[in-house]
Amino acid sequence: MADPMKIRASLQGDVVEVKVLMSHEMETGQRKDASGAIVPAHFISSVQAECNGKAVLTAHWGPAVSKNPYLAFKFKGAAKGDKVKVTWVDNKGETRTDEGTIA
Amino acid sequence: MCSWREPLVLAALLAAGAAQAAEGVGRPATPAELRAWDIDVRPDFQGLPRGSGSVLRGQELWDAKCASCHGTFGESNEVFTPLVGGTTAEDQARGRVAALTGNGHPQRTTLMKVATVSTLFDYIRRAMPWDAPRSLSDDDTYAVLAYLLNLGDVVPSDFVLDQDSIRAVQQRLPNRNGMTRAHGLWDVKGKPDVRAVACMKDCGPEPRVASTLPDFARNAHGNLAEQNRTFGPVRGADTTRPAGAARTGAPAAAPAAVKPAAGLTLARASGCLACHDVEAKRLGPSFRDLKARYAGDAAAAAKLAARVRGGSQGAWGPVPMPPQRQVAEGDVDTIVKWVLEGAR
Repeated sequence: MADPMKIRASLQGDVVEVKVLMSHEMETGQRKDASGAIVPAHFISSVQAECNGKAVLTAHWGPAVSKNPYLAFKFKGAAKGDKVKVTWVDNKGETRTDEGTIA
Repeated sequence: MCSWREPLVLAALLAAGAAQAAEGVGRPATPAELRAWDIDVRPDFQGLPRGSGSVLRGQELWDAKCASCHGTFGESNEVFTPLVGGTTAEDQARGRVAALTGNGHPQRTTLMKVATVSTLFDYIRRAMPWDAPRSLSDDDTYAVLAYLLNLGDVVPSDFVLDQDSIRAVQQRLPNRNGMTRAHGLWDVKGKPDVRAVACMKDCGPEPRVASTLPDFARNAHGNLAEQNRTFGPVRGADTTRPAGAARTGAPAAAPAAVKPAAGLTLARASGCLACHDVEAKRLGPSFRDLKARYAGDAAAAAKLAARVRGGSQGAWGPVPMPPQRQVAEGDVDTIVKWVLEGAR
C-alpha cells in the first residue's frame, strides 16, 4: 500500500484551490539498476478528483511525471467543509484514494 | 554597524602597540545584550526556551509565512531545495536515512540530513522567515517546527510540540544516528573526506591541454560575466573582450564608500533586499527592471504599493512575493516612489 497523499483545499472567493502531494516511485521503465537490468515501469496512469460525487478533474499521466508528483488545480462550485476526494491508479493496477476538506 | 567597527579597529591597533593601552576602551556587554545575542539551542537542548505550538497552528503560520518559498507541503524545489521527502518509516526506526547512501533519492532534503531537532528549532527561530528573521515568537517557532515535522511524518497531525515533547521527537528523527565525528573535519586523526595520493613512479603521461576554444568563439555564449551570480567567489570572464584584457562591465564593487541613498537604507531596513537588488534579478525583479516596466505608468505607484502590502504572484514569474505587512504604510509608499524614480 502506498503512503497517503497530502491534500490541501482552500476556498478563495468562489474558487477552490486544491494542492496534492502524492507518494509514488514513478519509474519510467528506461532506467537500469546496478546490475544493468531495466527497472520495470511503474507510474501513475490516471488521476481523478471528485467533489460532492462529481468529477472535477480527470487526468491521464505517463512516465514523464516526476517521482512523488505535486498536483495543483482550481475549480468552482464548492463550499467550505465539502470533501475533495483524489484517486490515482498506476500501471500495475495499484490504487490509492485520499480525502481532504475544503477550508 | 559602523558604531562598533571603529572602536574595534582602534582597539586592534592599540593592542598591537601596547596591550595595556586597550584598557578603558569599550565596556562589558550588558546582560540584556548578552540575552539578545545568546539564542543558540544546542543538541542537548541547552538554551531551549519554554513554549509550545500545535501542528494546526503551525499550518496557519506555514501558509502565511513559509509556503511562498518552501511550498505548501515543504516539497517545493522552486526557491530552495525541498525540506521534506526521501525519508521512510524504516529510516525513522533505524535513525539513519537509507536514501543518503543509495541512489533512490538523489536530491537531499533537510529532513533527510539533519541529525538534531534542536538545529531545526534554532535555525527557524534565528533566520526565518527570510524577509523578517527573528519575527517568530518562541511559541510560533514551536508551531512551525511541529508542522514541518508533521509534513515529514515524524509527528502526528494532532501533535503539540513543547520544551518537553521535543526530546521524544529527537528519538524519532529519521537521520538522528547519521552524524559522525570520526572523520578529518572533526579530528585530525579521523579519516579525511578526500584522499589524495601522490603518484611517485610509473605515473601516466603528463596531462596536456588538447584543445582550446578559438578566439573567435570566445563570446559564442554571450558575456559570461553577465550570466554569473553577482555575489560569491565565481564571477565569470568578460567574454566581450580578449582573454587577459581588463574587466569592464563586470558587476560593480560594493559601493562601500558612497553613502547609501535614503530609499536604499529604508529598503534594506524593511527587508526588501533579502529578495530584490537594485541592479540584478534575484528572487524578485531588480529595482531597475521595475522602473523600466512601469515608466510612464501613472497608476504604477498605487498598484505596486498594494502588491507590496498584499503580496503578488505571476507578474514576474512563478515565485510569489509574500505580503509585507511588517513594513509601515508610509514606508511602503516611500520605497515604491524611490524605486519608480530609479532607485538612486
